[in-house]
This record gives sequence, structure tokens and C-alpha cells, in this order.
Amino acid sequence: MSFEPRILGIACNWCTYTGADLAGTTRLHYPQNVRVVRVMCSSRINPSFIFRAFQLGADGVLVGGCHPGDCHYNTGNLYARRRLATTKKILEFAGLEPGRLRVEWISASEGNKFAEVVEAFTTQIKNLGPQTKLKIPQ
Amino acid sequence: MTDFKKIEEKLKTEAKRLLESGEVTVVLCYGKGFDESHPMPYAAKAVADVDNIVFNEYCNYNMARYLVRYPQGTKIAIAVKAADSRAVIVLIQEEKVKRENLVILGIPVQGMKNPKTGEVIDSKTTCGMNNPVLFDILLGEEVHGPKVASPYDVLAEYEKMDKDVRWEFWVKELDKCIRCYACRKACPMCYCDPCFIDQSKPKWADKAPQSAGNMMYHLTRFHHLAGRCIDCGECSRACPVDIPLYLFHKKVAKDCEEMFNQQAGMSMDDKLVLVNFRVEDSDKILE
Amino acid sequence: MLKRIAIEKISQLAAVLMEKGTLLAPVKEVAGHNFVQILDSQKVDLNFYNTLMSPKSAFFPHKEDFVKYKVGKPLAEAEPVLLNCKPAFLFGVRPCDVKSFEIMDIHFNAAGIIDPYWRARREATTIFGYAYDISQPVDSADFYNTLGINAADPEGSDIFMVKKDKELLLKTITPKGEKLLAELSALDKVSTADEKYFEEYIKKGKEYKTRFNCVDSEVVAKKLESIFDNTDFWTKMSAVCLSCGICTFVCPTCYCFDICDDNMFGKGTRSRVWDACMFTDFTLEASGHNPRTQVYQRLRQKVCHKYSYHIRKYGVISCVGCGRCTRQCPVNIDIYSIIEAALKA
Repeated sequence: MSFEPRILGIACNWCTYTGADLAGTTRLHYPQNVRVVRVMCSSRINPSFIFRAFQLGADGVLVGGCHPGDCHYNTGNLYARRRLATTKKILEFAGLEPGRLRVEWISASEGNKFAEVVEAFTTQIKNLGPQTKLKIPQ
Repeated sequence: MTDFKKIEEKLKTEAKRLLESGEVTVVLCYGKGFDESHPMPYAAKAVADVDNIVFNEYCNYNMARYLVRYPQGTKIAIAVKAADSRAVIVLIQEEKVKRENLVILGIPVQGMKNPKTGEVIDSKTTCGMNNPVLFDILLGEEVHGPKVASPYDVLAEYEKMDKDVRWEFWVKELDKCIRCYACRKACPMCYCDPCFIDQSKPKWADKAPQSAGNMMYHLTRFHHLAGRCIDCGECSRACPVDIPLYLFHKKVAKDCEEMFNQQAGMSMDDKLVLVNFRVEDSDKILE
Repeated sequence: MLKRIAIEKISQLAAVLMEKGTLLAPVKEVAGHNFVQILDSQKVDLNFYNTLMSPKSAFFPHKEDFVKYKVGKPLAEAEPVLLNCKPAFLFGVRPCDVKSFEIMDIHFNAAGIIDPYWRARREATTIFGYAYDISQPVDSADFYNTLGINAADPEGSDIFMVKKDKELLLKTITPKGEKLLAELSALDKVSTADEKYFEEYIKKGKEYKTRFNCVDSEVVAKKLESIFDNTDFWTKMSAVCLSCGICTFVCPTCYCFDICDDNMFGKGTRSRVWDACMFTDFTLEASGHNPRTQVYQRLRQKVCHKYSYHIRKYGVISCVGCGRCTRQCPVNIDIYSIIEAALKA
């Protein structure tokens, strides 16, 4: 039985989530490993959500937001970009595999991009294997 | 070499003058402890208190941590060394204290020592700077000597490590944590009430000192200090089990400097790194 | 009975004890020595002044699981955690720390509700007390003399150890100790000179001076009661206190705890975890009200509990003068200086 990653996806309501929806209505095929949580803006994301996700057993975390400059709330994703870059660096220095957290800018019209990113990220996580470092043993 | 006695004299003189004139109601400085090598932080409120003021090589305390305890508007004089002055700048940027309510007594110094080990404190465990960045009155001669090593040099060994080895290193260190929260209380920038770790809704970590909770507490704290930590090293000196917290804080500071071209607490005109976004920030930082 | 062993052969004694049960002894760690469960007999290290953390965790662990349950299932299905107590040996405990167990017994092992976990561990453990080295200068933070304890006080130990050059002399104090020492093959016989040395050492221990002199507990209790409302005094004393929690955690006589229900993935554990009255949220009530929001209130509570309320309730000061709080305090606050200042206030 091959490893099926469990990936947490956090998508901003106005762009990425709508883009994901578009991927669905366009009947695009993509792996089912990403469980999506909708937030109003990528800047809603508390880095502790990401730490917590890894502790609860997520093999990967995929964050999606509007393209910088196009945030529905003007500047949210600009904060998020700096913040999530810092989160990535912290996880990397702690020793977690760098590829496990990925941040992508996916707009409402980029259904294709959503499907492609999910496909690529799922493959990446499959190659990295199950996440055991931060995961709390049951 | 720094003349500690001379600085102590000047500190006492200034404290006396400021308290007598009523220009300030409290002078945050250093005082006598239970013996010579164990001075304490000191809040002098009356002229008579000035006699208890000391300054020696063990006065490592970052007095900026006490600034938030006083009601806004209190006139405070504060003795600061290099990193401490940077902490004051960050607190001013975060609007926890107003510049006009402070009289900053800057102490340029070289040769501070760690009382636990007796070693001289340098850029390996702190920012390594000798001269305060912000001050009203300088209590000694500015230190202009040999070039100070970069505060990030000590990270080279850890950055080179294989990530799995580094992970094991951090697990081993953070497993020592007894969750006394001295690091949090010693830090001038940890003033949140309530702190995230004390909350039960949501509960970020269990109370007991165990691997998962310790990791959550420390990783989150490193993140909360990103762009705010001024590398005074107090957290690591306060730690009763000697966890090298300064290593991680330095790494986050280094990354913030590389990604965003900014150091914490260097200029009152700066905005904090994580709020100082630019539309032109490169997406490369997310790779 | 008196026996001896060369200090460099301590690992042999450790190995014998490990076969008989659980051995808890001091081990050198990065920041200092600490009592840990010995798995490698070579690791026992008696080259210390006193441990960082007190040995109270031998009877009162930092975290102790009580009940395991499944979320949503009936109470009857919850499993209490059973304590299977093997014989245990607490090796190398300084006299003040041995005394602290007697004080803690008041709370966990005396009248009223007995803590079965504490009692089981206490009964299963044989205590090897270890006199301070009176040839070395005293640590400036210690003040156990004030609490009526001296450097070579065998009271409370089952077996008491004293250093003689490169050897350890071990004397039985209680029947429990007598029984154990007779079984230990790794030990050697002593000479009359050794016996004399031991007696002399105990005598000299009484003259080994730490800070301060004896203080009347009644006087202290009354004085602290009278200055409770002296806010200026307590504000001054607590002006630089960080209100962290180190003093509580390292203290051998602090015993506050919290009961936590920790759930994850549908399973949970009810456990007891050390708490500290110095923590900001210690007295936070469900309504949101917190009677001790200020640092001075919490420091006043800590000092008055140990030197006033405890005397009123139990007749003894809740302190043994080990000096750990002073040594480990990040800002070098000295509890005895506070008491001294209070007596003069």
C-alpha cells in the first residue's frame, strides 16, 4: 500500500478558494490528498496553525492566497508573504524538510493552476514521505 | 578596558540629579545583590536609593523589560547597554512607551561577563555591539576598538548541519525545557497579556513539559520575536537548564535581515519588519 | 552499621542498587547536576554542591498521569493509571533536601486525604542522605542553619553518607537502611578510625555555618501578617521580580499543582502538573477576575505562604534554606533578604 499524504490546504476566500472551485466546475482531475480550509484572507493565517497542523500529523501544508497587489483587502497578502516566509525559515532551521510548507498565489480564474499545484505538491510530499518529526505520536 | 567603577559613579550622579529634580520618578538601573558577582536589576525611586546602585561586569540585565510595568506617562530614566537600547527602540516603535517620557542613560561597555561561566559575553551569544544606539546621556567613553565579529558567525556550524541532525539537536535541547517561562519573562518584548501559551481556548500546548508542547511553545515564541528580537541574550541567561535559545533567535534575525534588509531596533524611524511590507517584496523569499 | 566504598567505585554500588530496583542519583547535565533515573551506572556523579532541581520529583513528578479515557465514552470505561512501585533508592540527597520530604509529607502523606502515589513512592524508597563537604566553603546562597538544619544532619535519611578523602562512609540510620546496607555486597568494612571520623564529622557539621542565625517561626509569621497591607514594602521587594516560575520549580517544599485533561484524537489523559503561584494566571478565575494581577501580590503570596500561613496551619516554615531559589533566580532575588527586610519593616 503506497503512502497517501494528508495535506492541509488553507485557501483565501476571494482568490484561491474560488480558483479551486473553478477547477472543480471545469472537471479538472487532481489528487484528493489536500483537505481545504477556507479563510477570508491569507493574512488570517497564524503561523501556529501551521505548527499545529504538523503536530496533528499533516504531511504537508499548502497555503493559497491572492497575487500580491490583488488582495481583496488591499494589503493582507503582503503581510502574509513576509509572515509565511519567516515561518518557512523557522521550520527549516528547526530541521523540518523544506518542501513541506508551500505558499502559492492562485487567483480566482486560475483553476488550472490550482490543479497543477495540488498535483505537484502531492507528488513532492509523496517523495518526502510521511512527516514524523513534528507529529505527536498517538 | 571599560572602567566599571567610573561608569558606576556617573550612573549614581545622574540618578541622584534626575530623582532630586523630579525629572523622573524612577531610575531603572542595577543594584546590590546577595554578593559581588550577583548584582540585581534595581528600580531607584528615592534619592536614598542611589546608594544601592552598582555597575559591574555582571550587570547583564536588560532593564527595558521593566518599562511596560509602569503606567503610560510615567517619567522613567533607564540605564541601557547596546542591545538594551535597541529594545527601547522596539518598544517605542510598538508604542508601549513614549520617547519623551524616557531619559536614556547609555552605557558603552566591553567585557560583560556571564556569572554562571565567568566567560566574557560577546557576539557569539548576543548582538556583540558595544555602544548604545539611542541615548540622552552617555555614561562613559564610546568603545572603538577591534572590529566586532558578526552576531551571525556562530550560526555557521548549525546552518551547515544536515537537517535531520539539526532536528535531533533541537529536540534534545528543547526536551530539557521545564516550562518555567523565565525566557518569556526576561524578554523585554514579551509583554502580551495573556500570552498564547496560557490560553486554553484555543489550547496551543499542554501544560506539562513534554516534547510536543515544548516545541510548540518555543517555535511559536521564535516566530513572535521575529524582527523584534534585539539579541540581548537574556532569555538564554535566564534559562535554568541552559537551552541555547539565542541560536534560534539569531537565525530568525539573520533571515529577516537577508529577506527584508532590516535589523530590529536600530532606528526609531523604522517600522517593524513584519508590518513593513512592500509590494515589491520578492516572491523568492517563499521558496 | 557503618560501611565504606571508594568514590571511584561508586558505579559498582550503583549497579547493585539498579539490580534491586530503581536508582535515582545525581548526574552531570549541561547546566548542573540533577537527579535522574540511572540506566548507566557509570553516570552517577557525586561531584556536586547541590542539584539544580530538588529531589521532590522522586515522589512528586513534574507530570503524573492519573486517568486515561476515551472522549465521549462513559466514566466507567476510564482506566486509572496504576502505580507499580519497584523498590527505589534516592542516592546523594543533601540534609536540607531530606528535611524537605518531612515537610512535604504534611501535605501528601499525613492526616486527611492521603496521596496514594506519594505514599507508595515514599514507602518504596530508601534515602541515602549525603552530608555537605565541610572542608569546602559554604555557598553564599544557602541558609539552612536558619531553619534548624545543619550540614551533616542525618535526620530523615535511611542511610547517611559522609565523605572521607576519596571514600564514602555509609551509616545506617533507620531499620530500613539497616536492612538494605546488610545486603549490599559492593561495600567494604570500616576501621575504628573510620567510625571516629564519622562521629567527628557529624559533630563538626553542627558548627559549619551558613548565612544568618536561627529565627523564631512565631515571630516571622506574626511580622509578615502585620505588614500584609504594606504595599510600598512589597512593591519595593518585587520591583524587579520577573514572576517567572523558576523559584517554585526548583524549591523542594513548593507543592502547587494543576489538574489537566489533555485530549487528542479522541483519547485523553487526566494528569497532575506542577503549577506556580508566581504565574500570572495562577489565580485567574473562571469569571475572568484575577485577584493577583500585580507582581507584588504574587511575590507577597509566595513569601507569606512559606513563612507565615504555613506556620499558622502546620506549625513549620515551608522552607529548608537550600538556596536554590536564590541561585537560580534570573535576577538574583534572595528570599532570605526579603525576610530580613520584612523583620525590620
